[in-house]
Amino acid sequence: MKLKPNASTQYLLSVGACVTTTLLATPLLGYLDLANIVMLFLLTVLVIAVKLGRNPAIVASVLSVLLFDIFFVPPRFSLAVNNIQYLVTFAVMLVTALTTAHLAAGLKQRAQEAQEREQRTRALYELARQLAGTLALNQVIELASNFIQAQFQAKVAILPPEVSDYHGSIRIEPHLAKTAQDSGKLVRSDSMGALGLAAVYVPLKASMRIRGVLAVDFGPDNQEITPDTLALLEALASLVAVAVERLHYVDVAQSTEMSMLTERLRSSILSALSHDLRTPLTAMVGLADSLSLIKPPLPVQALETAQALHEQAERLAGLVGNLLDMARLNAGQVTLRREWQPLEEVIGASIKLLGHALAQHPVRVSLPPDLPLLEFDAVLIERVLCNLLENAAKYAPESSSIDLAAITQADTVKITVSDQGPGFPEQGAENLFEMFVRGQTTSGESSKPGTGLGLAICKAIVEAHAGCISAENKAEGGAVVAFTLPLGNPPTVEVEEETP
Amino acid sequence: MTAILAKVLVIEDEKPIRRFVRMALEEESCQVIEAEKMADGLVQAGASKPDLIVLDLGLPDGNGIDLIRDVRGWSDVPILILSARSQEHDKIDALDAGADDYLTKPFSVGELRAHVRALLRRRNRNGETASPLIEFGDISVDLSRRRVIRAGIDVHLTPIEYRLLSNLLGHPGKVLTQRSLLREIWGPSYIESSHYLRVYVGHLRQKLEQDPTQPKYLLTETGVGYRFQP
Repeated sequence: MKLKPNASTQYLLSVGACVTTTLLATPLLGYLDLANIVMLFLLTVLVIAVKLGRNPAIVASVLSVLLFDIFFVPPRFSLAVNNIQYLVTFAVMLVTALTTAHLAAGLKQRAQEAQEREQRTRALYELARQLAGTLALNQVIELASNFIQAQFQAKVAILPPEVSDYHGSIRIEPHLAKTAQDSGKLVRSDSMGALGLAAVYVPLKASMRIRGVLAVDFGPDNQEITPDTLALLEALASLVAVAVERLHYVDVAQSTEMSMLTERLRSSILSALSHDLRTPLTAMVGLADSLSLIKPPLPVQALETAQALHEQAERLAGLVGNLLDMARLNAGQVTLRREWQPLEEVIGASIKLLGHALAQHPVRVSLPPDLPLLEFDAVLIERVLCNLLENAAKYAPESSSIDLAAITQADTVKITVSDQGPGFPEQGAENLFEMFVRGQTTSGESSKPGTGLGLAICKAIVEAHAGCISAENKAEGGAVVAFTLPLGNPPTVEVEEETP
Repeated sequence: MTAILAKVLVIEDEKPIRRFVRMALEEESCQVIEAEKMADGLVQAGASKPDLIVLDLGLPDGNGIDLIRDVRGWSDVPILILSARSQEHDKIDALDAGADDYLTKPFSVGELRAHVRALLRRRNRNGETASPLIEFGDISVDLSRRRVIRAGIDVHLTPIEYRLLSNLLGHPGKVLTQRSLLREIWGPSYIESSHYLRVYVGHLRQKLEQDPTQPKYLLTETGVGYRFQP
């Protein structure tokens, strides 16, 4: 921006120019007609209008008429006029001078405006180019600040959509910023500007949503705030909005990629771990077993040791399995393979899977005959049932039976597994489903093997099925664990036509 | 125990596991050929014409499912898969590719021997002319006359029930995946409608099993499929 000479200098220059013209024209008085001297004055006014603008030119117009009257029109050195026709000369001279001044000054002003506009457009282009290359929000803020500084000597801040999150150098009026954010329209308050706060708030309208507010502080006098300025600010705001939105999506893309990488890493660690732990355990179980195949047969004690080894290795395998399952469930790695199926099928499979662990405890299953199909992940619900039956078998007195029942309740099915054992300890029942909490820690010398993960896994699985799980003691003794599964709307299976 | 000497190819990369698998198989009077890698296993499968292949699905040098497909291209030798739990998908793919049975790690020598015995028995039976009469528990099924008799009384089955039953009976001991049963009985467009299969297996159990909730013959392989256990 070019520095303009201030107003009083302009008027002095203007006056000086008129005086100079007078001095130069005086010696020519004998040679030139008065009419041509008028031309000299008009030329001066034209030059002043072009160089110094409208107001100095008006002053020059009036002054020229006066100087012409005093120094050139007889009687000289007086305002008086001999010949009345000079009044016409004065009038024409004044009107011509004023008109010239007006036209010339207007022309100059328009040229200047056009130049300024062109310069600002170029600056905007340049800004757009630079914004396209930004990688961080503070680069955007810096570029916008430089732009506003260069154009208006004003200060700028980019406020986030949550205005209260803004902690920047310029002072803002939060309510105005919020109005701009909410309405999507430019807000201006000169009184705020006078108080030393940002006076103009432009919403950053991007394609998806408003991504914050551009606040501009023009300093105490708000003279720069013209319609042109506001238009420029809106153009600036839309460029900044696009840049901010682009950065937002860069962020989103980066964090998505990050979480995908983390996820992939976690699942590859889990599967590597599960392979690396299971392989030696499989070998241990099998090798312990194979001792019984050696010929000639080993002494009985050695075989018993081999059997114990086998059992311990299997326990360890169970523990590792539980830990990995829990890790997988906790990591949200488990996608349910929900399918509509009869409950009795998975119950049968669970009992079969437990095999001789239930040899001492017959399972009495009672299901309502009209139980509809349920939607669940068979592998996971089998896990729940196995854990519950195994627990029951662990604590139930020898050769007592275990009851497995289901009833429909409102829009759920409630499945209960109950035993005739000592039940859960009174205190801490609500913690039973936490990780590494075991029942029977105080009452009786419990040496039952277990990790305290079984019920936690059950809980995670049941809750993934939008059900809930609870434990209580029966009045007549024994523990009951109950869990629910939602009923939903099972698909129909058409009844088959009878054969001829 | 089988009297004849069967040849078993064990493809497993872990030496300790190979060791006890070999001991268990030798106890079953089998001759054991070992292969450590997939490529090696494929060559051996062609060269030594085994009566049974025991294949670890987690081999480091390739996908066991490809090996199953290759072998199935020219042989119907029984294939027993060893796999870790939580690999239901791999199991299903392997079974669909033509494997016969699977064992989940860790497994005991007893389980291994039982599965191997069942597979070899079937292998031997395949040599004989297939009898149309199949008996299990108090049930006898006459495939030639489409008759099912339970404790001397005729059992009425619907056409789909009968087709499902004969499909299961046709592969005793073999795990049939849901997908393959649905495709076989209902057609390819029903592959995702597993509830049909489950409902009909339920019907069969009601009609043929003593305790339908704890079946003895028509067994569920949870998450995988079904198996007829004679």
